[in-house]
Amino acid sequence: MNTLAAYTTVCLLITLDARLIPDNYSKERRALLDEETFTAVGGKLHLNEDETIVNDILMKWKMKELNPSYTNPQHFNFSKHYFSYKNDIENSKVYQIIRRMPKGAVLHVHSSLMLHPDVLVKLTYEKHLYACFADDDLRFYFSEATPDRPCLSKWALVSDLRKSSGDPVAFDSQLKNYFTLYKEDGEDYNFVDINTVWQRFNKVYYTIKSLIAYRPAREKYWTETLKQFYKDNVMYIEVRTGLQDLYELDGSRHDKKYLVEVYKNVTAKFIKKHPDFIGVKLIVTKHRALSIEHVLEALNLTRRLKAEMPDMIAGFDLVGQEDIGRPLTDFLPILSEAKDEINFYLHAGETAWLGTSADENLVDAILLGSKRIGHGYALTKHPSLMSAVMKKDIALEVNVISNVVLSLVHDVRNHPLASYIALGLPVVLSSDDPGAWSAEPVSHDFFVAFMGVASKHADLRLLKQLALNSITYSALEDESKTRLFEVFNKRWDTFVRDVISDECLLDTSVS
Amino acid sequence: MWHIIFILLFTYAKCDDNYNERRRELVERELRSALGGNTTLSDKENVVNNCLMRHKFDELDYAFDHPNEFNFSHHFFSYKNRIPTSKVYKIIKSMPKGALLHIHDMAIMGADYLLNITYQEHLYVCFDKPVRFLFSSNVPNVTCGVQWQLMSEARAAVDNVTEFDAQLRKLFTLVCDDPDKAYPSIKETWTRFMQYFNSAHGLLTYRPNWEQYFYDALTFFKNDNVGYVEVRSILPNLYELDGTEYDTLITAKAYRKIIRRFMKDHPDFIGAKFIYAPSRKVNRDVLAQYLVSARRIKKEMPELFAGFDLVGQEDAGNPLIEFVPQLLEAEDLNFFFHAGETNWFGTLTDENLVDAILLGSKRIGHGYALAKHPVLMQEVMAKDIGVEVNVLSNAVLSLVRDVRNHPLNIFLSLNLPVVLSSDDPGAWGADPLSDDFYVAFVGVASKLSDLKLLKTLALNSIKYSAIEPENKAEALQKFTRQWNDFVDNFDCSSY
Repeated sequence: MNTLAAYTTVCLLITLDARLIPDNYSKERRALLDEETFTAVGGKLHLNEDETIVNDILMKWKMKELNPSYTNPQHFNFSKHYFSYKNDIENSKVYQIIRRMPKGAVLHVHSSLMLHPDVLVKLTYEKHLYACFADDDLRFYFSEATPDRPCLSKWALVSDLRKSSGDPVAFDSQLKNYFTLYKEDGEDYNFVDINTVWQRFNKVYYTIKSLIAYRPAREKYWTETLKQFYKDNVMYIEVRTGLQDLYELDGSRHDKKYLVEVYKNVTAKFIKKHPDFIGVKLIVTKHRALSIEHVLEALNLTRRLKAEMPDMIAGFDLVGQEDIGRPLTDFLPILSEAKDEINFYLHAGETAWLGTSADENLVDAILLGSKRIGHGYALTKHPSLMSAVMKKDIALEVNVISNVVLSLVHDVRNHPLASYIALGLPVVLSSDDPGAWSAEPVSHDFFVAFMGVASKHADLRLLKQLALNSITYSALEDESKTRLFEVFNKRWDTFVRDVISDECLLDTSVS
Repeated sequence: MWHIIFILLFTYAKCDDNYNERRRELVERELRSALGGNTTLSDKENVVNNCLMRHKFDELDYAFDHPNEFNFSHHFFSYKNRIPTSKVYKIIKSMPKGALLHIHDMAIMGADYLLNITYQEHLYVCFDKPVRFLFSSNVPNVTCGVQWQLMSEARAAVDNVTEFDAQLRKLFTLVCDDPDKAYPSIKETWTRFMQYFNSAHGLLTYRPNWEQYFYDALTFFKNDNVGYVEVRSILPNLYELDGTEYDTLITAKAYRKIIRRFMKDHPDFIGAKFIYAPSRKVNRDVLAQYLVSARRIKKEMPELFAGFDLVGQEDAGNPLIEFVPQLLEAEDLNFFFHAGETNWFGTLTDENLVDAILLGSKRIGHGYALAKHPVLMQEVMAKDIGVEVNVLSNAVLSLVRDVRNHPLNIFLSLNLPVVLSSDDPGAWGADPLSDDFYVAFVGVASKLSDLKLLKTLALNSIKYSAIEPENKAEALQKFTRQWNDFVDNFDCSSY
């Protein structure tokens, strides 16, 4: 018997005198609720015997952790800002299960903001690193001599600054603040408006970008990033990247293709050590505030790179704050022209506004044949677009924590993902810029979506379906996709066995 | 819901290859299929619409460029005093809005009105927690943690009456300077909200005050261009100075008396009914008594008794399923159940939506959680159940902060049978209906939604009211006359 149904039945027997409810009423009621469960993401998935045991364990902990919130909603974490509870997440048993669970692929992440700031701080211990602190901004440059580049204050070796600070620990923690929006005891982000948050976010981005433009630093950055994602049980990544030019210590610069090769080579090296990691593809991006000429240039670059390294290039996207950037309609002629050659993975509807140009980007993303839609936050307000998404099987890349941090929603129970799951839309979960808010690669996003957004009844079937979706809707070629499914299934079986045999998860009285 | 969507899609798929045409078709389809999208406006209405939309765009364009100032993404209390300066608001205020279908009688008039009552003779106060009031010819023989004292004497004893009254006034409103601090979660909000009712109770249930209060409330509605109202009432026992307490039926009769008097004074008003809505935090025995009372009142005044509901914080009260056997047997009563006034998904509160639908509720109060239930939304549409949406209430009572995330915009885009209402406007110093219309129109609905939406919402409120079928035509006539007056006399420059 289905465990959830059993759960509900038990609860009903305890609280109600079920004998008095007429049979036909109960049946009709059950039918409606079952239809909802069946419609929802994961509703058609069947769990085998072992998975059912895991599900029981998972749901036991989910109820135990959520139940106190119903009577004491003031302690319900997810109605508050992510920053106020992020450090408590790892204490959750549900989280510990999710962390160990194979999550398939991560399909919506931006290349410079994937790595945890702690690791970025370690990168600043590299030799020849100069820093320029100006106002509340920070830029890095690797060089043998003092950089001959503009700086509002003056360039200094990071090693010298760290030494002369007298307190390297404090120095590093200050440095870390430039790599993330999250600060211990930081400002209450609930009350910071969206443009201000984005300005700070962009600052973090430019600082990190300056650190990893140096070829050896980028190689280390990418190795560390792969390690973290792999450790988070992610087996394949599609990375959105603007493909910046890397440079060497002597100041010589590489072309854009070179960075693609760096991604390829570093990943290949990583796969040698971890043969069940499938790999990486890139989605080439351009900032949406730029001119049509710039975007056309990027499209041509994408075309060229795709011809030269077809296995590395998944497609193209436009990035940056959608509300104040150019709408997709500005680029229609060049996007239309390219759409048969290049796959699009367009950001669209990452906005709280309804009836504005950012909102209408959803229309264009769909009409331009976008393979997936980045965010689609506003989609829930557009029934006919939702049906188009359903019919064309366009996956929605949902990033719940990102939407909280970047000021679209406060209480995640109001996040549209709840509707998408209920409607059974093709959803994948992702994390957008986990490094920028010191999150785990994707486990935090899974956790918040599972505990805070989805129905109380949502169970392992939802989690597994989300992981499977990430593989289904990836840009992988058929052969690699099959391999990823194999790897996933193998790891999933291991996960199921591990959870069943984990004594720490058995007794709910121990937490 | 999907079948409706697929009809849309069919048209979408038929379009030719011309990108711009397909795009326009898709965007227009959405607008047309949304609530009000099929309405056509007369030439005169178009004049109103042009004025309205010019001002709406001005306000929204400014907000778009200044998100730090965008009012509706902040707490209602931080911008409520600025609303009256909005031209869109002024137009909405003077626009006939039809019926008000979801409002609780104890929270209509606002803090100043209640403060004023504390100046009446024979009022005793108990400065306990919460502070309570009672009219009495002698010192009340009711428990008080401190002691009952005459309000007039308490006031005379203080040095600074202005300050004293300012403190007193705070009892009668949730409005405060720093709402984000005062109401960090739904728990604190509802605790404060319940205190409000405790304080207001003794002031309003004094029989002479009750009658005056309700007459004033009807005037208040009328002045906000509301033509008809269905008031939810717990039908509290009224009392006299000598301590006499009446039963529920007398309260209902007081309603009848006042409604008759008001209708006589204002024959162009469409009318008023009440919904008997006692607390949901009771056991089955008490519910049985409620149902007995309901039937008794219905028999006595069928023309004023609209139906039955249960009230109180839904998350903290009993779920409907607890009472299903009894409610199924009460099919002689019309139901107007609160359901899904919650952020929780998959809980008993959330599932109240299922029972409200299966019990044949004529309308659903709030239905906030409905957006997460596509199957139930389909049922709501098929059974044509009106959804009473109260945006400001949901914002103040901690369900949503940025109203752009309010599910109303989903209901509107799906053309669900929505009516707008205000729940407890007096508790947060809002208009009977204009503030809610304004915030829904500018803050929640699409930027492109226009007078067609407003007019349809007003018409819906008549359509989904409990007015008898034989009287609906006349109600509609009265509304149409008011609407035509508004349109005919519209002068954009006067706003």
